[in-house]
Amino acid sequence: MPKLEVLNTVLATIQDIGRYGYRSLGVPVSGALDRSSAVQANVLVGNPPGAPLVESFGPIMLRALSDSIVAVTGALTRIAIDGRAVAEYRPLWLPKGSVLEVGPPILGQVIYVAVAGRISCDEVMGSCSTYTRGGFGGLGGRPLRPGDVIEASLGGQRLEDLWSSISTRYVPEEGRVAYRLRQGVVLRVTPGPHRGVLSDDDWGRLLSETYTVAPESDRMGFRLRGPPLESAKRLGRLPSFPVDRGFVQVPPAGTPIVLMADAQTTGGYAVVAVVVPPDTDLLAQCPPGTPVRFAELGVDEAEDVTAQYLSYLESPEVSEVGPGFSEYDAYV
Amino acid sequence: MGLTPRVAPLGGYAVYVELCREVSLECNRRVHALYYALSSRAGDLGVTEVVPAYSSLTIFYDPRRVRWREIARAVEELVRDAEVFTPPPPRSFMIPVVYGGEYGPDLERAASMRGLSVDEFVRIHTSRVYTCYMLGFTPGFLYLGDVDPRIAVPRLETPRERVPRGSVGIAGRQTGLYGIESPGGWRIIGRTPVVTFDPRRDPPIPIRPGDRVRFYEIGEDEYRELEGVWIEEVQ
Repeated sequence: MPKLEVLNTVLATIQDIGRYGYRSLGVPVSGALDRSSAVQANVLVGNPPGAPLVESFGPIMLRALSDSIVAVTGALTRIAIDGRAVAEYRPLWLPKGSVLEVGPPILGQVIYVAVAGRISCDEVMGSCSTYTRGGFGGLGGRPLRPGDVIEASLGGQRLEDLWSSISTRYVPEEGRVAYRLRQGVVLRVTPGPHRGVLSDDDWGRLLSETYTVAPESDRMGFRLRGPPLESAKRLGRLPSFPVDRGFVQVPPAGTPIVLMADAQTTGGYAVVAVVVPPDTDLLAQCPPGTPVRFAELGVDEAEDVTAQYLSYLESPEVSEVGPGFSEYDAYV
Repeated sequence: MGLTPRVAPLGGYAVYVELCREVSLECNRRVHALYYALSSRAGDLGVTEVVPAYSSLTIFYDPRRVRWREIARAVEELVRDAEVFTPPPPRSFMIPVVYGGEYGPDLERAASMRGLSVDEFVRIHTSRVYTCYMLGFTPGFLYLGDVDPRIAVPRLETPRERVPRGSVGIAGRQTGLYGIESPGGWRIIGRTPVVTFDPRRDPPIPIRPGDRVRFYEIGEDEYRELEGVWIEEVQ
């Protein structure tokens, strides 16, 4: 049974695709910040796409307590097994006793480590996602710490058999975070319920200015820096209404906050725009200081984009390498 | 009753429905009725989740199964259909509270702001049956109302970093209960020892939007006796 010990982390939690169906009771959805990278990692190791896995900000080090298969996706980083460089976005065989070292992100900021098999974690309201503010899900509702052991059950399947069926899988470059980030970050939005609160000038400003991700960003929301939207100041607080990942709130200070995975279920600030779901994955990968822009999308197009994204999350495409392919060829 | 909801598509996967602009028990009752009506038809409509609030709700849908215009039409039909606006009968809950002291650090100040004695303030707070307008912000936070205008006090200027689980607060005409420890800006007048939110239970909180809640005063001895007891419906 695959088994890994956490040797070192900065901020890592167990996440899955999210906790749905309890928002009417105030329970946030949570789940992987960058769902595209999370489902890719799972499929690379033969797991269901929405399975729980490790989400890590910054470097993480794991030791295999028994033979295991893992895959690392998300931010561009350097990874090594016992000091030997290996590739991201590929299944990796970790022999018992070996140490997987994932370095700091070079491009992007969130890293996913999937472990082949069903990892043991606190399933709460149908999900293993860790919601640290509520102290539930994942491993004891808290971030991982050194000494934690992640165990995965293969349900009777032999690890060697699994390996022979998945070992050639990889995600081509254009499906990776680094590739997407290099195209520039443009968040496609549809107007929000309070678009009308903004003057046309301010709406134009929102769509033309370049914002930067502020350091006070976390799994709950990403704050943006940029010229304030003056017309939002008139509004103050509204009666609370349901909000979600991707909603662009403008508090009276006038600078936008994009709500993310651990977003509160209701909020009282004006929501002037809503980011289409796949683009919240991209934003998740933007460390503080990253320039981001907004672009308006028609609702019909937003529905098409979301439909395509939901299908991708359910069955992400991975490629198979051909003969003569070295694992370094998969390195970005 | 002429009622034209404002319906707005959001991000290609959600629809915002605002039934009225103001916060009132009557409008909120309609939100709940529409919430229960939509939730019971969710599967047929391609709706994945419905979240109600004070005067509005957000409907999440799968755009591979349905498009927002069909949902907007369904909402308008439901709103026109008067029988929809009969939510399920509310259930009742009694919540014991120790008022003041370390349990309710803002009680004295709140009472003096309104020119009341602490006892009068507590008597007024416990004399009403409140309706659960909504749950939200954090897991199991109960938005209850309306409080008697004589005990309405504004939020704190600066929110607290940590408000203990079970704390009972007031913000304007609303009284609220913190289901988990969290930051918070409501004026805290007391705390209940009973557990209202437990993530290991399903549902994690028995109180639903539209249910009724009444508070009653207990002493510290009873607090210790009731600590950790799960909240149960009053039959």
